[in-house]
Amino acid sequence: MTDAAARIGTLQRIALKIFLDEETVLDPRDVIPVFHRWIQTSAVDGLLIDVADYSHMTSGPSVLLATHEGYYAIEQSGGRLGLQYARRADQEGELADRLHAAARTLVKAGRLLETNDTLDGRVRFRGDQLECLANDRLRAPNRGETMEAFRPTFERLLSTMGPDDDWSLTQEIDERERFSVLATSDSGAALDLLEARLR
Amino acid sequence: MSWKDTLGARIPDDLGREIDTYENQIALKRQGKIDDKVFAETRLRRGAYGQRYDNGQRNDGTGVKLLPFPSDGQTKGPDTVWDAPGMQRIKIPFGGLTADQMDTLANLSEEYSDGVCHITTRQDIQLHFVHIDDTPELMRRLAAVGITTREACGNTVRNVTACPLSGVCRDETFDVTPYAEASMHFLLGHPDTQDFGRKFKVAFSGCREHACGLVNMHDFGGIAVTREVNGTIERGFEVYVGGGLGAVPHEAKLFDPFLTEEEVLPTLQAISRVFARLGEKRNRARARIKFLVAQLGIDEFRRLVKEERDALAPDERWSAYLDDVPAQGERPLHAGAPLETAPNSGAFQTWVGTNVYRQRQAGYVVATITLSLGDLSGWQLRRLADLARRFVGDAIRTTVEQNIVLRWVREADLPELHRELDSIGLAQPGAGTVADITACPGTDTCKLGIASSRGLAAELERQLVDQMSSLDESARNLRIKVSGCFNSCGQHHISDLGFYGVSRHASGHVVPHFQVLLGGKWVENGGSYGLAIGAVPSKNIPEVVRRVTSRFVEERLENETFYDFASRIGKRTLKEILKDLMAIPGREERPDFFRDWGDPREFGIGDMGVGECAGEVVSLTEFDLAGAESQVFEAQLALEENDPTRADQLAYGAMLQAAKGLIKTEFIDISDEPTQIVMEFRTRFYDTEVFFDKYARGKFANYLFRRHEQPGPATERDTARRLIEEAQLFLEATHACQARLASMPSPPKAGSAPSPGGVQ
Ligand code: SF4
Repeated sequence: MTDAAARIGTLQRIALKIFLDEETVLDPRDVIPVFHRWIQTSAVDGLLIDVADYSHMTSGPSVLLATHEGYYAIEQSGGRLGLQYARRADQEGELADRLHAAARTLVKAGRLLETNDTLDGRVRFRGDQLECLANDRLRAPNRGETMEAFRPTFERLLSTMGPDDDWSLTQEIDERERFSVLATSDSGAALDLLEARLR
Repeated sequence: MSWKDTLGARIPDDLGREIDTYENQIALKRQGKIDDKVFAETRLRRGAYGQRYDNGQRNDGTGVKLLPFPSDGQTKGPDTVWDAPGMQRIKIPFGGLTADQMDTLANLSEEYSDGVCHITTRQDIQLHFVHIDDTPELMRRLAAVGITTREACGNTVRNVTACPLSGVCRDETFDVTPYAEASMHFLLGHPDTQDFGRKFKVAFSGCREHACGLVNMHDFGGIAVTREVNGTIERGFEVYVGGGLGAVPHEAKLFDPFLTEEEVLPTLQAISRVFARLGEKRNRARARIKFLVAQLGIDEFRRLVKEERDALAPDERWSAYLDDVPAQGERPLHAGAPLETAPNSGAFQTWVGTNVYRQRQAGYVVATITLSLGDLSGWQLRRLADLARRFVGDAIRTTVEQNIVLRWVREADLPELHRELDSIGLAQPGAGTVADITACPGTDTCKLGIASSRGLAAELERQLVDQMSSLDESARNLRIKVSGCFNSCGQHHISDLGFYGVSRHASGHVVPHFQVLLGGKWVENGGSYGLAIGAVPSKNIPEVVRRVTSRFVEERLENETFYDFASRIGKRTLKEILKDLMAIPGREERPDFFRDWGDPREFGIGDMGVGECAGEVVSLTEFDLAGAESQVFEAQLALEENDPTRADQLAYGAMLQAAKGLIKTEFIDISDEPTQIVMEFRTRFYDTEVFFDKYARGKFANYLFRRHEQPGPATERDTARRLIEEAQLFLEATHACQARLASMPSPPKAGSAPSPGGVQ
């Protein structure tokens, strides 16, 4: 096992993001009451703590649901609005299991947004793109060797999400940024199907 | 695998050792070998602060719910759950940052926090939602770039602040940066600064006229001055002590009109020793140095400090740094060059108009990065570090207005810098205008927040940014500052329009409000504090801003400042302008008034039943509270009319009336006799702790007791003014107590504790 593989094998702080489709026009502030309602009803995974409104910011999280394990956020990095689930607390299992669990949590939350009454079905996510990033520069420095070590695990997840899809991976090029990979497929399933595949 | 191993020798030995010790203390606490209070102060002294809901419960809008953190009973301080997220404060002396430090801060925000860096009103940086277990590694990464979080919180010397224009300002007497830096190094961890009853804040300013270092609100503030002695120009400081905002604001007192530069550090040391020796230790509410100065009087305080100074053993550090002062200062990255042709872009012109300051060095300017609510993402901070490397090197500072400035920008580079800032979402104009609002964290993350300061500030900013182009210049240049409670972290006292969060009770519900303070002075180092006009429902504050600014624009005399305008038309008129906005509409008619900004939850403790009998008594109480409010207002007017004795009596009367109102919830036949009111209040509400709130405990009740025991009314303006502030706080506490009582399902019994879901 390479050093990079050993390092990434211990990675816990994984964040995954799905993107809103082109037709969705969403004011992130509309999600604030939805997140509060999620806390009241324990609608999504985790120990849900509070909602932070960062909608005044032009980059990073816009509205955030803080949990003990990490956070959910309507996120706008790269000018692309989407839903991110960032895991911070340690989880049991192999990296592949942790990645799978994070994806399941994210897709479940995404589905809940798509079907939320107060958002009137305005929210639709693309199933053909998934961004994965590591909030840990020690275990996952943004270098080629990390990509090579991470690729097999990530591809396993992608083959679960889109078994027949042809996924291409693009790594963030700036070495000072977090290690991140954007996976894009030639098709893309709806979130309900992804949810079923990740179950 | 750890950062400790990876960074190795890049962590300075002394900082590394300190962090190792701190990490050991964490381990010992986990083993139950350190007392809760001791550990709390230990982590506070390393900047690891508590955050809202860290007691493990939260009102989710349907009631108070437990947050079942997996901490297994483990705590990191009294009533503070181990696994609950906390805030990490990072001290940035005089706001000075290097590009490498910005990179690290950006990385830390992403890896340990929520991806957001927050600039505070004292030039610090705060990260929220940080787990205590992550703090040692976080601190090591900071140490590797020369930042310590030591003494960022706790009863210590906090961040030493200074004007962000020091060294490049056109009006300064001299650059105060080396003195701020030397003070910071000298006082950090100094044995004489380890035994304070409360925090101690130091600031330096280059001039008297501008806001600069806000000397007037600091425990120790030095304004740069010079004098000529035998044909030589000597440097020194006009030194003020005992200033402070918070619950009971004090304007600083002149300690020395000319303290020579050689005497700055020994005097700071001597003051620290006097503060440690004589400052209050048990009663936190009166432990800041301002109370000691008020209690001793400035002359006696000065005498004690001089005596202490004379007895100090000489320390070479007092003056060792002075030889280097002339050579210190930033070097520009590029040769200065004027801007020959400005781009014909409206956005660029607007930005230059508000965000660019011409340095006294020809060909250079300071560019301000306006940060909405002091926030920027980790990615933006890293990109900004890149721009700094390209345009100015390490000439970067945070500001007390929660912005960042790049100094030594070559004027000719402005168009390119603006384009680059725009590409990372940081070219927002409006720095230092009415739309550049300062706000403390408030209910978003602060445990003491009453109302949403950031929610209000964001809403005001949205509205004012839209109106900027049509606003008259006089209104455009006003300052707005918002705090979530009376503690004044948003510095609401020293702004034209200041607001701090309070709550009011109406028809069985709690309504978020803001106290409106008008006529504070931002300039002249925070030269004067605004006084409260009255509490207005939070949702009416945008209309308060609209009315007050319109009236100012319409009736302002030529060149009149808002401070002068507010003084001229008087608080009575100002209150009249806002009077109808103080009313709380019915809940059916305006349910939004019962929720805070950006928060769909019912404000406060929800809809617990209110008994009819209590309701009846409560309305009598409210009557008395309203009477008390107007007495406080009258007291302010009396003070304006230079009648401190009357002001004192009115403020005292207000406290008595409020106390009487509360007594009526249990004893309707209470007389008007002050001694009986105080006795009944003490027995029924103080001794039983019913009046106590969770954080301030009985602090506000003591204001009444102290005044009652005083032999006669005050004759001095300062004393009367303080009593007015105290009466205001006593009133707020009475409102809060009344709200708690009304929310109880049955009439309170003696000794019953306040509801855990109370709003304060
Ligand atoms: S002013 Fe009050 S709410 Fe705001 S940060 Fe300070 S203590 Fe917290």
